[in-house]
Amino acid sequence: MTREITAELERDPVYVVRTPAFDGPIELLLSLAQRAEVDLKAISLASLTDDYLRAIEQAQPPLDRLAAFLVIGARLVQLKAAGLMPEATVGEEEDLQAWEDAIKGRLEEYKRFKELAESLMRRHASGRFTFAGLLEPDVIPQARVQVSLDALASAFRQVLDRLPPPGQVTVEMEHVSLGEKLEELRQMLARQAQLNFTAIFRHARTRLEAVVTFLALLELIRIGEARVAQASAFAEIMVHGQERNKTD
Amino acid sequence: MSSSVEGATQVRDTTSLAAALEAVLFTLNRAVTVLELQDILQSPLPDIEAAATRLTEALAGRGLFLQRHQDQLQLVTDPAQADVVRRVLRPEYPARLSPAAYETLAIIAYRQPLTRARIEEIRGVNCEAVLESLEEKGLIEETGRLDAPGTPRLFGTTMRFLQILGLSSLNELPPPPQSGSTSS
Repeated sequence: MTREITAELERDPVYVVRTPAFDGPIELLLSLAQRAEVDLKAISLASLTDDYLRAIEQAQPPLDRLAAFLVIGARLVQLKAAGLMPEATVGEEEDLQAWEDAIKGRLEEYKRFKELAESLMRRHASGRFTFAGLLEPDVIPQARVQVSLDALASAFRQVLDRLPPPGQVTVEMEHVSLGEKLEELRQMLARQAQLNFTAIFRHARTRLEAVVTFLALLELIRIGEARVAQASAFAEIMVHGQERNKTD
Repeated sequence: MSSSVEGATQVRDTTSLAAALEAVLFTLNRAVTVLELQDILQSPLPDIEAAATRLTEALAGRGLFLQRHQDQLQLVTDPAQADVVRRVLRPEYPARLSPAAYETLAIIAYRQPLTRARIEEIRGVNCEAVLESLEEKGLIEETGRLDAPGTPRLFGTTMRFLQILGLSSLNELPPPPQSGSTSS
């Protein structure tokens, strides 16, 4: 069947190739290339395509001719690619058939997945989710926080309340880095193994600075360099520094 | 049905093991692997599996739901209760995913584990961005590396994937497409 089409097309070529290595209808180029009677390596398919694109800008051939060029062009690219690969050999009709089957199979596979994707989308849109409990699996190990979280939170609130209220609105570039605060806390704990909770905020001048200091404390607890404890209810919360146990 | 395992000091019947499993999953409140559970419950794998099946049966018609993703188990709320649970949680209604994302998810769900190259072969387009976004949303994850040149990453779905679809396990997905065979 391909041969008949080729024969017919040769009377009215889809495109006439004009390159130093080959001069004639593109259909002829394909059939010669398939029989390895012309070396595709000597022909630049890129410039052939560029020439063709320029040609159709002016002539605007019907759609079936464009499609025919596309098919032939694709086959030429495949042959050329196969020629460049050391082992791959491309047979004629059978392989073309296998090639078409593979493409058809792939399109069918894709179509099935598209349908499945739609069913997933409908399911998602129905909103029938499942939810895990609200309790977060421990981000900060309980053993390092021997204080109720409420007590810790209210102690921090007291720290914030002690800071001067935001008077006039002054817009200033304030830069407080978590890394710096971490380092500051580490040094404080290195000098003094045990600190009052409020003492770690004594340098904090603004709410932002206090907040960053608090975050730095939580981070130290998380990575195991500090722990907080309260001896009794309403007692001052103490921050204890501890060497991170590498073998732990 | 449960096989006797040598060295098992403690033999529990399935019902009491199912109750213990429920208590552990409730407390840990996260996905727990069957390997961990063997250790926690000091029971061999077949007994854990039997207990999981028993727990699923026991939870039928209840507000809780046992979810299974590969070797992980998690106790979650029943998808039928999603509305009421959503009312008590802050309403984080996740944005719909793009068609490309659902396609990619479907391919991964049915063919996992697989490489990006294989996904792109099926979809015929570059999938880097969509994979990145699905991974960020916690719906897929790297499950290993393919033993091939370049050791490409292998992708699989996550527990979160089951959660947004309200599925008890991957087996509950609609029947998978037969690969290749063109039986009409």
